[in-house]
Amino acid sequence: MSRLGPSRWLVAVPMTLLALATIYPLLFTANVAMKTRREYVLDRFSLASTLRWDNLSTAWNSDGMGRYFLNSVIVVACAVALLLLIGSMAGFALAQVRFRGSSTLTLVCLAALFIPFQVIMVPLARIMADGGLIDTYPGLVLAYVAQFLPFTVFLLTSYYRAVPTELVDAARIDGNTLYGVYRRIMLPMGAPALLSVGILDALFCWNDVLISLLMMPSADHRTLMVGITSLRGQYSADIPTFAAGVLIAGLPVLVTYLFLQRQIADGVTAGATKG
Amino acid sequence: MSPIGSSGRVAQAGRPDGALAGEAAVDGRGPASKSPRVRNGRRAERLAPYVLVAPAVLIIVVLRLWPLGLGVNFSFTGDGERNGATVGFDNYAELIDDPLFRTALRNVGWLVLLLPVAVAIPGLLATFIYLRVPGHQIFRSVYFFPAVLSPVIIGAIFNLLLAFDGPLNAVLGGSGLGPVDWLGDPDVAMFTVVGVHIWATSGMALVVFLAGFSTLDPALLDAARVDGASLARMIWHVIIPGLSRTIQFVVVTTMIGMLTSMFGLLYVMTSGGPEGSTYLPEYYIWVQQGQMSSPALASAASTVLFLVMLVVGLLQVGLLRRAGRED
Amino acid sequence: MKQRTLWSAILVAGLVALAGCGSASDPDSAPGGSKGKLVVWDWKSGDATASSYVKKAKADFAQQHPGVTVEFVAQPFEQYYTLLGAAIQAGKGPDVMLFNGGGQIRDRADSLLPLDEYVRDDKKRLAGWEAFTKDNKTYAAPVTLQGHPIYYNKSLYRKAGLDPEQPATSWDEFVADCRTITKATGARCFAQGNKEGIGIQFFLSGLGSGVLSPKEYDDWIAGRRDWSSPAVERIFALWKEADDEGLNNDGANSTAMFNDAFAVFQSNKAAHVIGLMSDVGHWKDFAEFLDADDVGVMKAPVVTAGATPRLPYDGGIGYAVAKWTKDPEVAADLVRSLTSPDALKSFHADAGAIAADRTVDVSSAGPAVATIVSEIDRGKPALHVALSSKTVDLMGRLSQQLLSGSVTVDSAVEQLAASDRAG
Repeated sequence: MSRLGPSRWLVAVPMTLLALATIYPLLFTANVAMKTRREYVLDRFSLASTLRWDNLSTAWNSDGMGRYFLNSVIVVACAVALLLLIGSMAGFALAQVRFRGSSTLTLVCLAALFIPFQVIMVPLARIMADGGLIDTYPGLVLAYVAQFLPFTVFLLTSYYRAVPTELVDAARIDGNTLYGVYRRIMLPMGAPALLSVGILDALFCWNDVLISLLMMPSADHRTLMVGITSLRGQYSADIPTFAAGVLIAGLPVLVTYLFLQRQIADGVTAGATKG
Repeated sequence: MSPIGSSGRVAQAGRPDGALAGEAAVDGRGPASKSPRVRNGRRAERLAPYVLVAPAVLIIVVLRLWPLGLGVNFSFTGDGERNGATVGFDNYAELIDDPLFRTALRNVGWLVLLLPVAVAIPGLLATFIYLRVPGHQIFRSVYFFPAVLSPVIIGAIFNLLLAFDGPLNAVLGGSGLGPVDWLGDPDVAMFTVVGVHIWATSGMALVVFLAGFSTLDPALLDAARVDGASLARMIWHVIIPGLSRTIQFVVVTTMIGMLTSMFGLLYVMTSGGPEGSTYLPEYYIWVQQGQMSSPALASAASTVLFLVMLVVGLLQVGLLRRAGRED
Repeated sequence: MKQRTLWSAILVAGLVALAGCGSASDPDSAPGGSKGKLVVWDWKSGDATASSYVKKAKADFAQQHPGVTVEFVAQPFEQYYTLLGAAIQAGKGPDVMLFNGGGQIRDRADSLLPLDEYVRDDKKRLAGWEAFTKDNKTYAAPVTLQGHPIYYNKSLYRKAGLDPEQPATSWDEFVADCRTITKATGARCFAQGNKEGIGIQFFLSGLGSGVLSPKEYDDWIAGRRDWSSPAVERIFALWKEADDEGLNNDGANSTAMFNDAFAVFQSNKAAHVIGLMSDVGHWKDFAEFLDADDVGVMKAPVVTAGATPRLPYDGGIGYAVAKWTKDPEVAADLVRSLTSPDALKSFHADAGAIAADRTVDVSSAGPAVATIVSEIDRGKPALHVALSSKTVDLMGRLSQQLLSGSVTVDSAVEQLAASDRAG
């Protein structure tokens, strides 16, 4: 039953239109991926004449796409695991423990939140090169961790701040060290927040092009999104193949979302919603 | 502690307890505080929070703030023929003289002003879904879709949809309204890009709002409706106060999104045009760095951008914190 | 026990960093620099159409230097120069890299090796060197020629009752023909895309030789640009007039030259387009949609009496060698292999380019190419290529303002003059 009363249809109509507007671009992409280049240039909006999978196989079979896919999976998995570990440790300590310098350290993390990547791009590349990290998996993982850590710490701090401190006190009276509290109570308790933050981080890393390009200059170290972007040449002539690449890159994300939808909905920054 | 996301109540309630916990750590008030083993433990406990924070702070300082510092340093050197030479504030003077950079900063101002819209849209949608508009379960899933697409892809798709001879204008033309040059009119283009950004990101905010609604007491709403309150009054008197913390959270995350991650969309949709009207500082930096081969000027722009972000960000956080205290 | 978990976690984080440092000593992981291996950056080698070109160039190079491996890294073009800039600053750039001719390579000449002593023998065989030359030093060897012929759709001419083999030679006739075509077929005169400010570049170079006197043209290329001359002003006024009078497709400012404007031409919605000679937006592309025999190339219509229309072209893309490469001679040999006749022949055939090598046979590529190639000998460098990146960028913005009416021709030309003097 709607709680909206008779006006509900008045609202439902624009919301349906909006929903259609949300789905349409996805369908459009799928449609373009089925077209030949000729069909696309002559009329980009008409329906593809037949279901044609050539573009998908072209995109997938273009040099090293399988390799890129694997690279992406490895790098994103490592980066997200590290982000969650480091982020939750810091988030817990900053939210629940009072210690000298904590507000300064919080401010440091907060300030880093406001640095667009373009701002530090070049100096960062130089630092990474000096450290011998350019073109290595750990280098890219580290770059991702650095990029998304402020956001992760911020979200997890606000999550842990909503956890009643009595819990921590009780655990400490039971003789737990701070590490014990973190590991036994905070880590399991943060699971919903960790899951949703993890999904966000994974999305960011998966969709990134710029950082990956900068950190991984060799061809066989590329990530999937870079591979897809490279399908567009200087003048991006073959849009249907590019659209097919977009589908290939987007599909795993979409499937993951559909599977984890409930958890995302329930968990996204549960800390932000208490009270 | 962090000013972000802590409504006054929680912060004030949390602080004494936090302090207690901290003191407990420092004092090591345990049952057997005399034995040497525990004394070691006390030192370890005192260091514990630092150990927990250390990796995060280390990474942030070395890979975010240090490069920022290098950039600032670099911004006082020259480009091209003056490569490497110290030029004082010349780059900054050049920035101020560049109308393009001024436009970029003005657009940042627009973004800040448009922030409430970017928060209100997902907020309203979430409200209707929460109030079970017909089809709410479908909306709930569908509205999130764009959040999984990368900005580059979203931009590429909307480029086609918003083209002058694209389908949106076909619809507008068919309904008697003239076509709008969404991406070609300098007075419109910036809003078009922001609109697409909101479209792309509001799915995430919507989900956060819905999570917030799940903690709202439905009895309050029912009571309001029994009293015959209109929807607007319900939103104003029940939902907004009830969700203050959620709203703050969305405001801060949306702001960060708008100020730091519109680059992809801009790049694909307008490349800063038409007439330079959609330049943002990130894009300016990118162009100077790459196409114009002026890395030092780009560094100066980076420094200015960071300062602007910091001021805007902290101001906003401060305002929210005060608002949080008042309720 | 509980602490162990935490410490092991921290250890993992540390190890990741260490592993990174460890792999620093692995010479193969760093791009560029190492002896016995050359790293090449471009935005071409990833295209399927360039694969036989790369294969042939590699084979040619392997004959001379069997012990040296070559790695091609195809970068997305959009990020190319930014990545290159970052790599140069980080000291981790490639050994050999592709450049567009003109401003892009001149701005970065500091980081490049002058190639004159290595490419002496190729100077005659290849054309287009000027676009890669700064202060009399050559920094890259041209692979393709790039220029801006005016393509026209012969079938639209026929439908409008015009003689497709006799396109207009003066601007007034040209405009009159356009009116006839629009009346008969509904097609506009020009397919115009100025979203990125590219439309004006093509317009300036494509029509410029019909406006400037031969002397003014040569002076412009030589760097003596008289912005106050009436002819220069005329070009920008013409740009505005063309749009005001409906010669362009609608929404030129929001139409991307690549590939939207070309799509307009390909789908018979406009009769002319100022296109390219190589890569895309050219004879090969158009022939895919229109009949190859229907794609014509015409000279710039004469606007000012005394002007001599000429094909505007320059070196298109070329490979350069980084200053820091370990063995310049080997790297230069790779550049020579990349411009060898055999390699360029495949590049012309597969990728659809007018190769810089004048000995490459183009007779099978259709009538449009024949016209273009016959004009090359009398051709001149393109007007916009002579301008600095900064001025070209400003011109893009001003051209959009001209179309929307927010700047006057006088003021636009004045601003361009100031930018040209400064840079």
